[in-house]
Amino acid sequence: MSTTATPVGSVDEAPEPSRRRGRRRLAHGAEAASHRSPAMTVAGYVGMLLVVLVVAVPLFWIVVTSLKHRQDIYVQPAQWLPDPATTNNYHDVTTRIPFLRYLRNSVIITVVLSLTKIVLGVLSAYALSLLRFPGRGVVFVVVIAALMVPNQITVISNYALVAQLGWRNTFQGIIIPLAGVAFGTFLMRNQFLSLPTEIIEAARLDGAGPLKLLWRVVLPMSWPTLVAFSLITVVNEWNEYLWPFLMSDDERTAPLPVGLTLLQNNDGVTNWGPVMAGTVLAMLPVLVLFLVLQRQMIKGLTAGAVKS
Amino acid sequence: MTMTDTDTVPAATATDVRRVKKGQFRAARGLLAPAVLFLVLLTQIPFLVTIGFSLVKWNLLYPQDRGFTGLDNYATALTSGALGPSILATVLITALSVILSVLFGLLFALLLDRPFRGRALARTLMITPFLVMPAAAALIWKYSMFDTNIGILNWVSRSLHLPVLAWSTDHPLLTVVTVLTWQFTPFMMLILLAGLQGQDKGILEAAQVDGAGTWRTFTWITLPHLRMYVEIGVLLGAVIILQVFDPIAILTKGTGGTKTLAYLLYERAFIGLDVGEAAAYGVVTVILTIIVATVALRTLFKVFMAGGSR
Repeated sequence: MSTTATPVGSVDEAPEPSRRRGRRRLAHGAEAASHRSPAMTVAGYVGMLLVVLVVAVPLFWIVVTSLKHRQDIYVQPAQWLPDPATTNNYHDVTTRIPFLRYLRNSVIITVVLSLTKIVLGVLSAYALSLLRFPGRGVVFVVVIAALMVPNQITVISNYALVAQLGWRNTFQGIIIPLAGVAFGTFLMRNQFLSLPTEIIEAARLDGAGPLKLLWRVVLPMSWPTLVAFSLITVVNEWNEYLWPFLMSDDERTAPLPVGLTLLQNNDGVTNWGPVMAGTVLAMLPVLVLFLVLQRQMIKGLTAGAVKS
Repeated sequence: MTMTDTDTVPAATATDVRRVKKGQFRAARGLLAPAVLFLVLLTQIPFLVTIGFSLVKWNLLYPQDRGFTGLDNYATALTSGALGPSILATVLITALSVILSVLFGLLFALLLDRPFRGRALARTLMITPFLVMPAAAALIWKYSMFDTNIGILNWVSRSLHLPVLAWSTDHPLLTVVTVLTWQFTPFMMLILLAGLQGQDKGILEAAQVDGAGTWRTFTWITLPHLRMYVEIGVLLGAVIILQVFDPIAILTKGTGGTKTLAYLLYERAFIGLDVGEAAAYGVVTVILTIIVATVALRTLFKVFMAGGSR
């Protein structure tokens, strides 16, 4: 199984029908690892195609709706393609609300929160998995318990606290209560614990201090999980709605999802075109981020120090 | 499995380490302690305040009438008759959505782990539902997929001469589960894909060389390796879906057996404006979650993985 980042042309399902149930020993291990019967390959493609349809239709619909004229949105039977297509909705989104302000707020909130959460998550997971200190088990259970508190309820108590501090309509009011990171701590701790102890032992005996151990050995070996954690964190912060909605009244601090709801409420009836155009625009930055990160994710364990 | 018995792992190594690098470790603790402390504070303060609220009589409609009531809120919550159906709805929706999205997520992760033509495109497409804002996702499903008149599902039914359905009123549970599965499959896929990518390729090659077929390699090597990632995915997915709010508020408004604990809580707090009672529901939810997470999941995994481990 190769780890090529760009699979274009690197198709490897060379059909080898003569092979007797794969029992014959092969000289080239790599070739054997990528073996799969043609029937399985076809089944794989068909399954993939079906699923892609289910996944793609709603997405397709979001994009198509964003390009339709208002009167074309509610017609029966549904129009599959906008006729004629229009960019009015996009124009609407960027002019009817201060789109760039909301975008700026979203970027500030997401960048600060994600960085905080990733650093906190990695450090605390490292402390809770590979370092020893009294009360470690208790701390872990306490952090995990926090995962299970429904945020509808923490919102109430957080609101009471933040409003008393006079932090409504400030970035710290939005950011600090969201900075607790139980999810990442849990994910990264389990990842760290799954690493082979011999390697960590060896690095320690070679004189690597704890932070060097984390940076040079533990993190490179946990790369795919770290990227997954980072991506999930960024997306969640980017789409965070309830808390910023309660915390901010206007474009001074409100992020995009809050801004987009204003489009919906502007004229009483829901006007789908601009809402969908806004959804597409809001999704683009995280999509680009994913495109950048997906290469990192499949880089896998290429970064040295892995062979035991 | 993942929660407790891991404490013993570094214990054996600790003595050597202490001998070699005592000073450095003290410095590291100095660095890591603030992170851990900050984390505990941020995650615990709201919970403790919630427990406090749950012991107070506090309805925002009657702000004067506020005081300590002991366990009255819990008595109301447990006897109101809303709790039972709500627990059922929560368990059904969570269990179905988690199981479906883990199965689909595993399937996609396995498919996307292999190189094939158009893989980058397929992976990008598969991840996109997760990138859409949850409220927008629920809206698009409600109006363009499930809608009785202009929805695509009914357009398909009509084309195939099947009965037309008002999805969100005829099958409320199913609609919620569908949307949640659509949204959370990429989440599971991402975690499982990370697990697959972290797999030691040498072992896979060795298995193939030794003549293990695709299926046996999968059940004997890949599945046990993925076990930890499946566990994490299920646990985190369950905990997140348990608290999910947007799709229910948008699709069904808690009707037709979809009033989950999270939605009930929202109703009590933001419509009933009864902070005390809502907090009591919140504490009950946390306790139930912890019970489910520790007991049920462990049993499930013992059954699921019984054949897989060596």
